[in-house]
Amino acid sequence: MSDIQVAAGADLPGFDRYVPQDRVDAYAEASGDHNPIHLDEEYASKTPFGTRIAHGMLSLAFVTELLAKSFPDDWHAGGKIKVRFSAPVIPGETVSIYGSISGVTETNEGTVVTCNVGCKKPDGTDAVSGKATVPLRQG
Amino acid sequence: MADVLIKSVETGHSFGPYDVTISPERSASYNQAVGGDESPDYGISLAPMMTVAAALTELIEDLGLFSEGLQTVHAGQEASWIRSINAGEQITATGTLASSSMRRGSKFATVKVEYTDADGSKVGDSSTTIIVSGVDP
Repeated sequence: MSDIQVAAGADLPGFDRYVPQDRVDAYAEASGDHNPIHLDEEYASKTPFGTRIAHGMLSLAFVTELLAKSFPDDWHAGGKIKVRFSAPVIPGETVSIYGSISGVTETNEGTVVTCNVGCKKPDGTDAVSGKATVPLRQG
Repeated sequence: MADVLIKSVETGHSFGPYDVTISPERSASYNQAVGGDESPDYGISLAPMMTVAAALTELIEDLGLFSEGLQTVHAGQEASWIRSINAGEQITATGTLASSSMRRGSKFATVKVEYTDADGSKVGDSSTTIIVSGVDP
């Protein structure tokens, strides 16, 4: 585990991430999701968003990266996340990935950490928000 | 326009199985796209959402969500893992339409997906909720 304090109220080491159209294009290629709303400005201009938007799964990837950085030995084995996508990230925006520990529970299987996590747009609104739980390994 | 599955699919419908084995090269491309040098070095493990993203791409195709006249919003996502998955490891994804309803002219659908390894052991699951407009006859 990283050197974060495992206590309710502790912040996870958030970070900012620039999301240019190049990153969206590269994500589309790697993920296989070529929905034109992410890639085709002419198509996207006719949607309710009026322009291209980044993949929600890209923003979620940033959030799970935060969990992987915070709990490198534990997140991949037993981690759970539940989020909702409430606003699109527009290419050219820099988003802020945040998280904090909301609870630490002792169970028969060990310690389980619950976190509030999300991804904020430049205007402070959430693009992604939700909860994650991470069981910590013993020892 | 030919009918697309999202318009007629009913709860309980099965999707897949999909082969969502991720090659080391594709994993590297994914990691580069998400964060490059700013992202952690996952070693031989896949980034946390890579397998879910691969399964979602298959679901989008099967449901016909790119079809003309449809607008799809990804509303919610859940995922959980029993263990990490390595690049190149054979993983199969099998989906089920867990719920489907029409509200204010849009279709709300949730697809649950289970991921299994080459031995058939479960390694994780996910749940994707989408809202699709334009599905009215």
